[in-house]
Amino acid sequence: MSRLPDPKDFSKPAVALEEVGIRFLLSPPRPASLRHDGLRALRALGRRRKEEFWALRNIDLEIKPGEIFGVVGGNGAGKSTLLKVMTGIYPATNGRVRIHGTLAPLIELGAAFNPELTGAENIFLSGSIHRVPRREIRRRFDEIVDFSGIREFLNVPVKNYSSGMFIRLAFSIIIFFQPEIVLIDEVFSVGDEAFQKKSFEKILSFRERGAAIVLVSHDLNLIARIAGRAAVLSRGRLAYLGPAAEAVAHYRKFLLEGEGLDAVRSGRESSPALLQNSRRWGDRRVEITSVVFVGEDGLPRTSFRTGEYFEARLSYVSRLGPQEKRPVFGVALITAYQMLVYGPNTLEAEGISAAPQDPLPSRGVVRFIVPSLPLFAGNYLFSASVYDPTLSIAHDHHDQMYGFHVDDSGAKEFGCVRIGCRWGIEPD
Amino acid sequence: MRKMRDTFKELFSYGDLLVNLALSELKLRYRGSALGFLWTVLNPLFFLLILAAVFSLIIRFQVENYTIFLFSGLVSWLMIQQTVIIATASVVNNQHLIRKVFIPKLVFPLSSVLARYVDHAALFVILIIFMGIYKAPIRASLVVVPYILLLHFVFSLGLSLLLAVAYVRLRDVQQIVAVVFQALFYATPILYPLDVLPENFQAVIRWNPIYYFVESLRWPVYRGAFPPNSILIAATGLAAAALVLGYVLFVRNEKAFVFHLS
Repeated sequence: MSRLPDPKDFSKPAVALEEVGIRFLLSPPRPASLRHDGLRALRALGRRRKEEFWALRNIDLEIKPGEIFGVVGGNGAGKSTLLKVMTGIYPATNGRVRIHGTLAPLIELGAAFNPELTGAENIFLSGSIHRVPRREIRRRFDEIVDFSGIREFLNVPVKNYSSGMFIRLAFSIIIFFQPEIVLIDEVFSVGDEAFQKKSFEKILSFRERGAAIVLVSHDLNLIARIAGRAAVLSRGRLAYLGPAAEAVAHYRKFLLEGEGLDAVRSGRESSPALLQNSRRWGDRRVEITSVVFVGEDGLPRTSFRTGEYFEARLSYVSRLGPQEKRPVFGVALITAYQMLVYGPNTLEAEGISAAPQDPLPSRGVVRFIVPSLPLFAGNYLFSASVYDPTLSIAHDHHDQMYGFHVDDSGAKEFGCVRIGCRWGIEPD
Repeated sequence: MRKMRDTFKELFSYGDLLVNLALSELKLRYRGSALGFLWTVLNPLFFLLILAAVFSLIIRFQVENYTIFLFSGLVSWLMIQQTVIIATASVVNNQHLIRKVFIPKLVFPLSSVLARYVDHAALFVILIIFMGIYKAPIRASLVVVPYILLLHFVFSLGLSLLLAVAYVRLRDVQQIVAVVFQALFYATPILYPLDVLPENFQAVIRWNPIYYFVESLRWPVYRGAFPPNSILIAATGLAAAALVLGYVLFVRNEKAFVFHLS
């Protein structure tokens, strides 16, 4: 596995994985220690432990220069591990990983920083971690500082930076060294909206110069919109590889078929993380079968404008008995930085949950209508759920499984939500 | 062989990082302290002076020019002991980096050992000053000192590589290393000349590898003569063996490090 920059060659794949598998040995919750294990600790050193977990298995893919490649999959599916195998952080247990070109991993931003060193010192340190020659760092220094907007804090140790400044600096450093392969793991929760936009454009500009971009995201709409091809990972295996739109459609189908729960039921093969973080849970006595966003014309879309008509349609199938009370549907709108904007439900809504006793139709569509969308530009996550009337038993909860985008309308207001208000002025 | 060449090529491309890591270690240690880098000199100086006072005023050995005898031995000892104890932890101390970015792991012990040897320059400053004060013999044999320094460097690097691998697997290693060094301090003729011991004890001490390093420095600095070939050959052999063994063990194990760190 050569990591040295090769002469640029477009016929070669930027990233090639052949039959890659990676095995983690589960168990030792702590490293062996003489105090706890006595001399057994010494024997433990030589012994192969039996509990193993394949985080990735038989992965075959080639990513070409100039390609935007998306990776989707549930929690614990192996997305982040895949990126870490590409960078070399995790050695492949079997198979081969080949990289042609300089890598810019936007994975654990700021991981390379020494918190005690100043911003300026960290620019040089991070640069050298990514093997950027010193003079190249000097040449680019001002651009990096300007892009990250931390000039006044250059001589302050980064441990005193706000998390936004920290991430902005980390991002700017990596992005300024002409990478040929960019690996991105949910990076668009970086900094504020303006910075997100700026960095996104910067990354796209690399592609025009022939860089390969590997993008891991839960934001399926983003993947469908900008990636050419995408892979769906499921429990460490490549479940689908093909055009991004189709990959996303496949993955949505997976989700609706309850991939998460099946993995938990099948027990051994799933990671503990999957159990805790599965994004779908509930007893499925009422099941949400699809969630679609539509505009005023009733046609599905994932992109809206501030002030526009917005509607989410939750199709469901109910297996409740005729005597049972109506369930409560709920939705939640969440920003890309995991801030809950609004989480209404139908508990008090007449005609749905609060209506007289007539039972819920066994199939139907619940419509959540916002006549004038008060959200500003950005990516939003969307949860849909259905609970029993006491709100204590989940029938089906889809946690942040959907997303939509609000386009920049050029408004000169700031924030994520428009609050009805008026201004006044009076002489004192 | 080819693999080894690739490893070196890769390591070489991380040269700037090596220097940066060593520099930040040096820079950060004294940030916020009034005397700063001066402590690097003062700390061993006080240690040397205390030992010199105890062993020339309270417990006495029949040794001519005891201060230089002691200092030459101690400088050699400290170069190895301080380096190895700190560099043993170098991989584990950088576990946050190893889990999050790709860096050839050799960079960590190497930069740690380099930083220590920059510090050790202070030991030599002290040694040279005291050689002047106590009229140590300044002879042609001093030309061998750079080579002996190199042997110290190679030996402590090799030992650090070995122990860093062990420490990743078993966290008791650092404590064990500290205790073993404490014992070795007395089992090395630093405070006393070898010939005060009974014959059979002397034979035991010849099994202590550090003896050869202490002696190799003491010959030119204290006695003003080239070290005997037996000492030079032994020290060279030990340094080479430690490096080869440490390097091979390290390279064989470095891929698995990430699974043992948190």
